Amino acid sequence: MRLPWQRKRAVPELVRAYEVGPWPDGRSYWRDVRYVVLDVETSGLDARRDALLAVGLVEIEQARVRLDRRWYSLIRPPAGLLVEASSIRIHGLMRADLADAPPIDAVLPELLERLAQRVLVVHVARIDVGFLNQALDLSYGTRLHGPILDTARLAATLHQNAQLLGQVSRDMPVPAIQLRALAIQYNLPVYPQHDALNDALTTAQLFLAQATHLEHQGIRTLRALLRAGGVQSR
Amino acid sequence: MDEIAAFLRTYPPFDQLPPEAAMLAAEHIQIEYFPAHHDVLTFGGPPAEFLYIVRKGMVDFVREEEGEVLVFDSLGPGEAFGYPSLIRRRSPIVTVRTRTEVLAYLLPAEIFYHLQAEYPLFASYFAASALHRLTSAVRSRHQTAEPSLFQTRLQELISHPLIAIRPDATVREAAQLMRDHNVSCLLVNLPPYEIYDQNSGIITDRDLRNRVLAAGLPDSTPLRQVMTTPVVSLPATALAFEAMLLMLERHIHHLPVTRDGVVVGMVTHTDILRRQSNSPLFLPRQLQRAHSLEELRSYGDQVTAAVGALLDAGVRVSDIGRVVAVAHDALIQRILRDVETELGPPPAPYAWLVLGSEGRYEQTLRTDQDNALIYADEHPPDAPEYFRVLAETVVERLVACGFPRCRGNVMASNPQWRQPLSVWQATFAHWIDVPDEEALLRSGIFFDFRQIHGTLYAEGGLRPIITRARGNKIFLGRLARAALRNPAPLNLFRNVVLERRGDQKNLIDLKHRGTAMVVDLARIFALEAGCIDTSTVGRLRRSWPAASIGETEAESLVSAFELLSLLRLRHQRAQIERGEEPTNLIVYTDLSPLEQRELKESLQAIARVQRGIATVYQTGRIAG
Repeated sequence: MRLPWQRKRAVPELVRAYEVGPWPDGRSYWRDVRYVVLDVETSGLDARRDALLAVGLVEIEQARVRLDRRWYSLIRPPAGLLVEASSIRIHGLMRADLADAPPIDAVLPELLERLAQRVLVVHVARIDVGFLNQALDLSYGTRLHGPILDTARLAATLHQNAQLLGQVSRDMPVPAIQLRALAIQYNLPVYPQHDALNDALTTAQLFLAQATHLEHQGIRTLRALLRAGGVQSR
Repeated sequence: MDEIAAFLRTYPPFDQLPPEAAMLAAEHIQIEYFPAHHDVLTFGGPPAEFLYIVRKGMVDFVREEEGEVLVFDSLGPGEAFGYPSLIRRRSPIVTVRTRTEVLAYLLPAEIFYHLQAEYPLFASYFAASALHRLTSAVRSRHQTAEPSLFQTRLQELISHPLIAIRPDATVREAAQLMRDHNVSCLLVNLPPYEIYDQNSGIITDRDLRNRVLAAGLPDSTPLRQVMTTPVVSLPATALAFEAMLLMLERHIHHLPVTRDGVVVGMVTHTDILRRQSNSPLFLPRQLQRAHSLEELRSYGDQVTAAVGALLDAGVRVSDIGRVVAVAHDALIQRILRDVETELGPPPAPYAWLVLGSEGRYEQTLRTDQDNALIYADEHPPDAPEYFRVLAETVVERLVACGFPRCRGNVMASNPQWRQPLSVWQATFAHWIDVPDEEALLRSGIFFDFRQIHGTLYAEGGLRPIITRARGNKIFLGRLARAALRNPAPLNLFRNVVLERRGDQKNLIDLKHRGTAMVVDLARIFALEAGCIDTSTVGRLRRSWPAASIGETEAESLVSAFELLSLLRLRHQRAQIERGEEPTNLIVYTDLSPLEQRELKESLQAIARVQRGIATVYQTGRIAG
């Protein structure tokens, strides 16, 4: 933990505004909470070595995914960064696409504005959160602040509950974790994969389905949801 | 976003919107997930704030009377609700309750009003449907929207989990598994599900009763002894109507559904009957019961009548074409089977092909027959005579059923088009190698073939020859030049060029200067890409990645083709109703301003693609 006066440079107003929240109240009914569902594409899996290449997000308000408030941006990687061929194969972002994209410093302000005062929802949060924290640390000496929900963790909780209720067979000891597999399990449409915006959208729908199922099991508040599938920002 | 816009545009009335309007709608969609048995709209409750479009799951329209819940309509994927309330800005007139968990796209009221104001066809759909819903609400239950079976794809009907069991398991284990999962059918197999394999099959609860219990077999009997094999299946993209027909034909109640050759689910008779409408579905059953040629003929008449109903219901012409193909195929198959019974079993394997528009699933009216017959190279000496009699009899009966003889004599009764496989292969190869006028003309009819009966696998024998055209610049170039001989009728100012015939003026030929141009272009792209699809829309959608056309242009040709086909079919139907001979000539100035604009845009899209093709093949003619 770095103390405020040890920050690398002066903190812009927007960062301070982001940090103060206020963040959604844990006692709120989950449908009354505002969420932002996010997915990133990266050049590799190591947050310290690899770079963010794209970020896509949709907002959820009144338990409805708002496509009119979607946001997507490509991010120009630092000069000299090697984009692994294997990751190009996954997300299809070529160097040429990224050459004209804004650099991370130009993308972060709008991103922070969109994350502010909302619960962040991510599928397999560890990777995305790691990259975002790394970028925020380098640019502003800050990190993610608000509550974070992980749809992969929610899936694990739902699977455990189902096992307790005897709704799954014993020979399925672990839940599916892939976004696509989970979406199919809930009979949700799967949008073309490995595009940050489409994946964020698929995640958002998955989250609504999961939260609706959890509500049936008595989980009504944000706090209870966070117990079922929250992660620490660090 | 593109995916959502594309989904919307698959269903009426969003299919009436130009791409940019569908995109606008998609960009403002909100997505909501409803639990099962949840009231989305309540009778007498607050007015709807959105147009709701079902993406996944089903909703019921319910009315509660004296404590009884009455379901009088159900909607599935692609169908919309909430508009009567939106349009009148009043309380909903029915309660809409989810039957299953439902994922819905919500179009905000202001966007709905905007689209309504801008696009008359979009608006009129809701006005008409609202009236229809109102009257059906007043009438009683089971008033499912009519076109659903012709638009529903099997993938949307899969409601049963796929449970598989090993072929060496016993019937008892199968019964236990069925009980545990509450299903009536198991796939007998080991993953990956290779259902074309001899060792796989399906077993149903009826099989357990009829083939095990009634036959007195022990409960240790291995499934492989009593299962049904080979399995009859359909791809997930097939229409519910096709499944219905297949089930009736084969007397089966369960149908595995495949995607890329892998079984992804099971559809039952009941799944389909649940979507049952009161309209043309009775047709296949009638076909089965028909005992005389007279009755078969009346079946043909009813298919034609059904086309009118489908057209009124706003079904896309390409889907109507599929429905008609399924119905006509069934008729021809029935006649072939009858004749086989009369003549005795065929002395050698053969294939009955339909050609041209029938082969492309684009026949919407009973037009001239185009067919051909292929028989195996190895055949007893009496086989040619058998097939002569068979072909002549079938052609004769088709005439009796209202399909006139082909004026060009492209029929299996013509000895030239009734040949052993090797002769056909040589003929096809010759057309490609020596592309003279005759060859180009023939390839346009014969390369669009579709086998509808017989055990000889024509696709395997002939399609590889056709795909040899891929990369044959001379053949493709000649084909392109022939296609461009008929340029889109536009003048220098990109206005529609109209014709005059006798005392009639402002005419345009919707076939020769319309649909046929798209058909020819699509065939070229399919040959370039080695695409084996025969339908024009399928060819455009599937071949663009490997052909000299882009995706946007391919889609614009698809829209152009749909529009030209629709205008043409509507025109012909009106002529038939007036007792006239159907023609392809329409009076341009009789069209509404909107239709005129759309027609012009369609022809412009065709001209653009023609110019592209002219450049690629340097045909020296610039079209349009």
